[in-house]
Amino acid sequence: MPSLHATSGLGSYSSQTCTSQPSKLPAGVSDGNAPLMHKDGLTTGPTRSMALTFPFSAIVGQQEMMLAIQIVAVDFSVGGVLVLGDRGTGKSTAVRALADLLPPIKVVKDCPYGCDPSKTGAQCPQCLSSRTGKLVILTRPVPMVDLPLGATEDRVVGALDLEKALSQGIKEFAPGLLAQANRGFLYIDEVNLLEDHIVDLLIDVAASGENLVEREGLSIRHPARFVLVGSGNPEEGELRPQLLDRFGLSVEVKTPQDLAQRVQVVRRRDAFERNPQAFRDEWEPANHKLRQRIVKARKLIANVDVGDDVMMLIARLCQQLGTDGLRAELTLIRASRAYAALQGDAKVDVSHVRMVAPLALRHRLRRNPLDDTGSGARVQRAVEEVLTA
Amino acid sequence: MTGAEPSALDPRWLDAQFALIALQMDPAGFCGVWLRAGHGPVRDAWLEQLQATGCGVCKIPAQVDEDRLLGGIDLAGTLRTGVVVYQAGLLSSADGGVILLPMAERLTAQLVSHLCQAQDRGVVLPRHGGVAATSRFGLVALDESDEDEPGLCAALADRLGIWLDLRETTLAQSAQRVTLLQPQEMAKAKLRLQAMHHEPQHLQALCEVSMALGVDSLRACSAALRLACLHASVHGRDALDDEDLAAAVRLVFGPRATRMPQQESPDEPSPEAKSASEPDNDNAFPPPPPPSEETEGSDAFEGEMEQAPKDVLLAAALASLPPKLLDSLLVGHTGSPNAKVSGSKGQTMRGLQRGRPLAPRPGKPGAGRRLHLLATLRAAAPKQRLRKPWGGGRIAIRAEDFQLHRFEQHRPTCLIFALDASGSAAQQRLAEAKGAVELLLEQSYSRRDSVCVIAFRGTQAQLLLPPTRSLVRAKRELAGLPGGGGTPLASAIQTAYMQADMLQRNGSTPMLVLLSDGRANVALSGVGGRAQAQADAQAWALRWHGKRFASLWIDTSKQPDPLAQQLAARMGARYVPMPYVDARRMASVVENLRHPLASA
Repeated sequence: MPSLHATSGLGSYSSQTCTSQPSKLPAGVSDGNAPLMHKDGLTTGPTRSMALTFPFSAIVGQQEMMLAIQIVAVDFSVGGVLVLGDRGTGKSTAVRALADLLPPIKVVKDCPYGCDPSKTGAQCPQCLSSRTGKLVILTRPVPMVDLPLGATEDRVVGALDLEKALSQGIKEFAPGLLAQANRGFLYIDEVNLLEDHIVDLLIDVAASGENLVEREGLSIRHPARFVLVGSGNPEEGELRPQLLDRFGLSVEVKTPQDLAQRVQVVRRRDAFERNPQAFRDEWEPANHKLRQRIVKARKLIANVDVGDDVMMLIARLCQQLGTDGLRAELTLIRASRAYAALQGDAKVDVSHVRMVAPLALRHRLRRNPLDDTGSGARVQRAVEEVLTA
Repeated sequence: MTGAEPSALDPRWLDAQFALIALQMDPAGFCGVWLRAGHGPVRDAWLEQLQATGCGVCKIPAQVDEDRLLGGIDLAGTLRTGVVVYQAGLLSSADGGVILLPMAERLTAQLVSHLCQAQDRGVVLPRHGGVAATSRFGLVALDESDEDEPGLCAALADRLGIWLDLRETTLAQSAQRVTLLQPQEMAKAKLRLQAMHHEPQHLQALCEVSMALGVDSLRACSAALRLACLHASVHGRDALDDEDLAAAVRLVFGPRATRMPQQESPDEPSPEAKSASEPDNDNAFPPPPPPSEETEGSDAFEGEMEQAPKDVLLAAALASLPPKLLDSLLVGHTGSPNAKVSGSKGQTMRGLQRGRPLAPRPGKPGAGRRLHLLATLRAAAPKQRLRKPWGGGRIAIRAEDFQLHRFEQHRPTCLIFALDASGSAAQQRLAEAKGAVELLLEQSYSRRDSVCVIAFRGTQAQLLLPPTRSLVRAKRELAGLPGGGGTPLASAIQTAYMQADMLQRNGSTPMLVLLSDGRANVALSGVGGRAQAQADAQAWALRWHGKRFASLWIDTSKQPDPLAQQLAARMGARYVPMPYVDARRMASVVENLRHPLASA
């Protein structure tokens, strides 16, 4: 799996989360004694291996966030997850842990976009052009790509491959973060501080599922279907409504005020940092169980039935809350279905809707300036009203 | 092994000394140090010692470019040799060492984001491909900001374990030097650290203290635990001690405290309650749903820990607070620098003409955008070979190479005036207010700020003048404003709120000046009725407060009115009673309101 993006070199984001093999030095590293290896002498003490992420099932509390992440993992079409809340509540830990919770995916070897070999329709120009021979298939973990705040357009969209241009004088497209995130997750920490020109870019790609590059004499169209995962602290800035709309679910996290829970969090974190491998081994059974549950739900979801009564209920609920457009309804239906599948139920009923409605609708409410109650509570209230009506 | 520590010394300096040893031992373990201190001999003394610790110190200037920070293609080398040459990034070269960030209060969001990401993941990914490199480093953020300035970015501050404040340490106090660890001592301490054992109640005590002091972030708890272990190992202990916990609490929780622990009232009766429930205490030690492992060690420590370690630790934390902060905590005003930071963001915006330069970005020049020549050449350089296979003599620049200047500038301010033109505000005062607005308008004109006027009378408020810089128009509209009728205050605040919200979205900083006596008698619906009108006004005042826009309430009634005062408090507005609206004086009050914004 590390050989995956050997050509572009950009793929290491995805592989680094789970590879534990030593990194290879690129061909011409100029600074010989520089850094790429671990300097053992200086990091005695509890060592954290670079590759290991905190196991998802070891995360304490934050049920709503965990539920939203699992729903999205079952059905990508629900859309992204927005996690808003205080600092140091494990937002990014949870998101980063997600990738290795999911079963690995099959990809076409050497395809920079990680195309699915079983789907012929949605493939990138590269796979289509090399259709003649037999495709070599690799298995690799689901990509989890970090989009740093200050990322340039080049980095996000992709640009001319500088390496090739410099050394061989060849004009070639070097895929960006969007390409890497294809079929996986794109994670933006502090999404509310993202620069406008990057937001514009994301809004378009997140809706269309493909990235269109028309720059530097390149004309490329490639698939970029990813789940957008954002986190941020709402006190520091608000999100543009259009970007908000691209997130299927939204959750609010708070620091646990329960002592036992806090102790638990710190203890597990400490245990992980002391010996990441042992800690992961310890939690692997739980992770495995969760993974099985998601895999099962994914199989089940196609057959989960949404009855007319539930559809009506959802429509009435959205009407009551005055959400714009039909996206709210669609998201709520999909999320309810995914949740039912997770629960192993063959039919969506009211309890499923009740559970996911706050997640799916909270960020779509029109603001009511005179209502001080949180938007989650408003959704909850509307659910009760509609149910009893 | 830490040098003799006479107790007469500045405790903060002693903490700073411990921070040095902590950095020497395990720079990445607690993420680093936030050092608030002015430039001067005290800070220099500390930094000098930091250099002497022998952990690789790498200084990263605030204006570092991304290629250098993360690693990437070495452009000069590549062009010279014709082979792609990679350069290692500063973050990966700093692996295992300490990164020093001078002027940390001025770091860009971009740099902070990269630093945080690298710290979270322990790896950096070079910018233009290449292999991810291990990067575990400690950060030392040197912050010189003053009290009233936005300090270190909250995202970074939250991660840094130790917060030091040496602004009040004197030179004489800083003469005391700690003996740093010798290599063999350090090796031993590291072994001890690795095997360090902590009991559940230690952890519990730390978490309790963090909650009592209102430290929400769980990162702080983790850092405190790490530092307690470090402290123990440096002092040659194999298990945690109260002293270690106290040190950790002082270093980590003390400066982060956002509230006074409610010790007196709820805790007074609790000693009895505690001793009464002593028998089941060891089972119930970790409160509601604890996993079984937690109870194991608790009975062994029952004896020593009976006196709730939390209180001892709290005392330690409080003792470390500067008296100033203590006062502000008592008043209930949060003294946490964090709170200050988060509010002051967003006063700047990106611009194309003037301000502090930002990294250039691609685009076409024209329409006020200026070409950044150097960046353009840089962008074109790698593509030269591609464009000129024949090897011509001129540089080939294409449109796609164009890079533009970008600047960060302060947001323009827009003053929103809400004028009470109702019957209760007498005609005379309305005329005075109009005069004051005109004066402010003239001032704003020279400052390129804009003004917007809302008048309220009768059934609802009316946007008399949308945000404008036009003096003529403003004067004309104001002159034609009649007076008399009810006071639809809620509607006025609502209109102002909408305007402010819109202005903020368009990149201005809104400020409200409300001239009224606060005697609302028309409800939002336009119907008369004092009670409903007041309730509506209160609700909207709260709503306004939520946005935390700067605002000023000028009370125009003859006697300072408690009603207006109360509403102003609700809005979070500054309240100025002004029985006679004096244009000059009002201008100076508004100037005061504006001042903190301008200097931020």
